Amino acid sequence: MSKRNTNNSAINTKLRTSFVITIVSISLVLFLLGLEGLIILNANKLSEYVKENLGFTVFLKDDVKEVEMLRLQKYLDAIPEVKSTLFISKDEAAEILIKDLGEDFVSFLGYNPLAASIDVKFHAADATPVTFSKIEKELLGFPQVKEVNYKESLIHLVNEKIYQISIILLVFSLVLFSISIVLINNTIRLMVYSKRFLIKTMKLVGATNNFIRTPFVLKGALNGLLSALVSIVFLTICIYFLRNYLKDFAGNIDIELLGILFLSVILIGMFITSITTFFAVSKYLKLKSDRLYL
Amino acid sequence: MSLDTVVEINNALIGYSEHTILSEVHLKINKGEFIYLIGKTGAGKSSLIKTLIGELPLIEGEGTVAGFNLRNIKQNKIPFLRRKVSVIFQDFQLLTDRTVHENLAFVLKATGWKKKLDIQERISDVLDKVNLRHKEFKMPHQLSGGEQQRIGIARALLNDPEIILADEPTGNLDPETSEEIMNLLISISRTGRAVIMATHNYGILKKFPFRTIKCEYGKLSEIEDSETVIDFDSLNF
Repeated sequence: MSKRNTNNSAINTKLRTSFVITIVSISLVLFLLGLEGLIILNANKLSEYVKENLGFTVFLKDDVKEVEMLRLQKYLDAIPEVKSTLFISKDEAAEILIKDLGEDFVSFLGYNPLAASIDVKFHAADATPVTFSKIEKELLGFPQVKEVNYKESLIHLVNEKIYQISIILLVFSLVLFSISIVLINNTIRLMVYSKRFLIKTMKLVGATNNFIRTPFVLKGALNGLLSALVSIVFLTICIYFLRNYLKDFAGNIDIELLGILFLSVILIGMFITSITTFFAVSKYLKLKSDRLYL
Repeated sequence: MSLDTVVEINNALIGYSEHTILSEVHLKINKGEFIYLIGKTGAGKSSLIKTLIGELPLIEGEGTVAGFNLRNIKQNKIPFLRRKVSVIFQDFQLLTDRTVHENLAFVLKATGWKKKLDIQERISDVLDKVNLRHKEFKMPHQLSGGEQQRIGIARALLNDPEIILADEPTGNLDPETSEEIMNLLISISRTGRAVIMATHNYGILKKFPFRTIKCEYGKLSEIEDSETVIDFDSLNF
């Protein structure tokens, strides 16, 4: 009896090990996917940040009253594409420049040559050359406006680069996603393969296909959930250590976005594992028993 | 087909589409009959059994088992055929990842039993029949071969099948345990179920003589009185 018991515990250890290996390999794949998601989210934020900082500056004529200037600012604020405006008066502009130069050029020159201006920033989605030139034209029609200043080539360049980078990221994540499905599929199939005789026996005692399959699929989904939770722990550790670097690029990580990311990891994990389990079990349900030994 | 007939096969061709194993199969089995199926390995005993549980289709001819027409049975009806025709295996085929109780409960739940109390009652019932009530919560690997086979028989009895197919049920057991199993199977056949047993064990045939069917040269032939007709030495298995 004692020999049986040791055998039993050896079998249990083995079963446990294979279960742990399954969970760990799935969670590693999900961890990679999550990391990818994190990169995409931050790239998105980064591109938004860059685009929203593009903007342009509207210089105003000297003889315009401040009320008129503020009216123009209000008008700009009302344009849907505009995210924010900042009015810088003549004196403020001088102060900023004095700080930058470290020299009081106003007293040196005897007058302030700078014009009052309005800094206009756009929503990321509207930071395109088309919007820029459209609004520029509109503004130049105003009598208060002296000139509109922006670098057209820079806007083109930024938009082009961001487009290229997002295409690369998209392709990269599609490849990674397919690899994940293949890897998880293999892991699951191996697990189901080890139970093929069990499935055969269940068939022979009169269980319907669905009755056999459902517990497998539920267990698969549970494994997916467990793996996703493990990978979220890894991800959290990763984010914790990387947060200082991330902050430099894209500011603080949005808790809401992080929640969406974690939730997607869980859903993708459960979806892939249950779907692959479903197909793996169905394969053995369809197989004639002779072919099980092949 | 009379009310007492549980298996009736006429002029059937059994095998895989490209390769015939048994031809001109005529077989009629009544309730409560005990039948031996003998023949060399590869003669088609297992194929006949597979046909009776819907695993192998009839290529030609007609066949009815427990009210199911073998010729045009649909895949999704096969589980229901298998509730009328239970199988006992040489290698027991218990679900190795769960206890005896769970093994039996699986079959009951798979066949539509819902109430916990009914399930427990039925399990106790069949375990009593094979005298293994005290092993209900053991794992299969904690049981001896004879005990595992008795659990296999208990499992076969769960749904009150009309037919029990035993594919060399004593093949892995010592003579004494084999005899126990035989007595159990014979007592089951006395309760009105047909028992069809494939075997190589001619000692058992001699000791418990019943109607015997031989698989040979791709045909089935009836041996009326096994004691006198079978020349055991000349069979040369």
